[in-house]
Amino acid sequence: MALDEKIREALARVAKAPIPSDRDSSLFDTGVIDSFDLVDFVADLEKEFEIKVPDDDLHPSKFESLGKIAAYLKGQGAA
Amino acid sequence: MSALTGFGHFLPSGVLSNDALAAEFQVTPEWIVSVCGIETRRVVAPEETVSDLAERAARACLEDAGITADKLGAIIACTGTPHRLFPGVSAEVQKRLNAPGIPAFDLHLASVSGLFGLALADRMCQAWGPTLVVASETMTRALAQGPRAKETAILFGDGAGACLVTPNDGPLAIRDVRIASDGALSESLRLEFGSTLQMEGRTIILHAVRKLARAVAELLDKNQLQVDQIGLFLFHQANLRLLDRLMQELKIDSRQCFINLNKYGNTSSASWLIAASEAKAAGLLRSGMKVVIAAFGAGLSWGAALVEVG
Repeated sequence: MALDEKIREALARVAKAPIPSDRDSSLFDTGVIDSFDLVDFVADLEKEFEIKVPDDDLHPSKFESLGKIAAYLKGQGAA
Repeated sequence: MSALTGFGHFLPSGVLSNDALAAEFQVTPEWIVSVCGIETRRVVAPEETVSDLAERAARACLEDAGITADKLGAIIACTGTPHRLFPGVSAEVQKRLNAPGIPAFDLHLASVSGLFGLALADRMCQAWGPTLVVASETMTRALAQGPRAKETAILFGDGAGACLVTPNDGPLAIRDVRIASDGALSESLRLEFGSTLQMEGRTIILHAVRKLARAVAELLDKNQLQVDQIGLFLFHQANLRLLDRLMQELKIDSRQCFINLNKYGNTSSASWLIAASEAKAAGLLRSGMKVVIAAFGAGLSWGAALVEVG
């Protein structure tokens, strides 16, 4: 499964609004996730991609859009 | 070994309801409850000061502990909302209690100040004697210094809580206190001069959940305890959704967690002390029970403490 598809699946588990098709749209501004959904989403990503997001990377900007999430996960070696 | 020998709290009589905030911010009361779990908050009267609240909580604490102010060895006042830079709330409390000649100072770490005060008092009382930790906040006044954002206006309330820490193995023995700070994200929670509270909510919540969960897990691990061996968790009363997330993360049963956030909102440094005072008054601190206290605040800073009821 492609990385984007896996991210969309994880996001769908917490999403409160339709996930935008645009990879650069803010997931916060579009109401897809709020602060607390973000906590669950990051935990889900860690489990799904078998990574540990270190404290230094624990910043909303890294998870703001589908594109940023994909870039971060690629940087962590997730396939 | 040191112990918590008394608690006290004071809440101003003014009440700020969700109906009033809903009208101000054009949202519904139900929306406010859904995002934070808070139904009402207490608000200071125009003539009340942060020191007034602190004094009332301090006096209630001394009465609960059964000692007079002349027996105090030190006073630590915790507040993120002092009415002036210096002298601090501690000096005002010391003057009003008539307890001269002992060290008195303030801590400014927002919501975690009370826990840092406890950590310091745990050590200080061994050298100086009974140490009063009093946390007092006029958060609604801090929010009123500029245009209010609904995300913070709905959260905060005013109040004060206090505890007395004594150098003996008293009724609530302090078994362990662990505190830490990391200045890398300090800008994400701040209150500048003449401004309103600035809080990057998403960053704060991400780090609060992770660091509080980790602090509690490490505290339990170091003391060879499991979550189900803890009778009561007294968390900083920040936001019900944050507490729910913490309980989920740590697998804490909701019956183990004392919550009064719905009544008072987030009273910052005072919140766990008010909770502890109410829990004790309600008879919830039972003999043999182990209690975990945990808080998160400015710095960013966080910590957890283990107390055992004798």
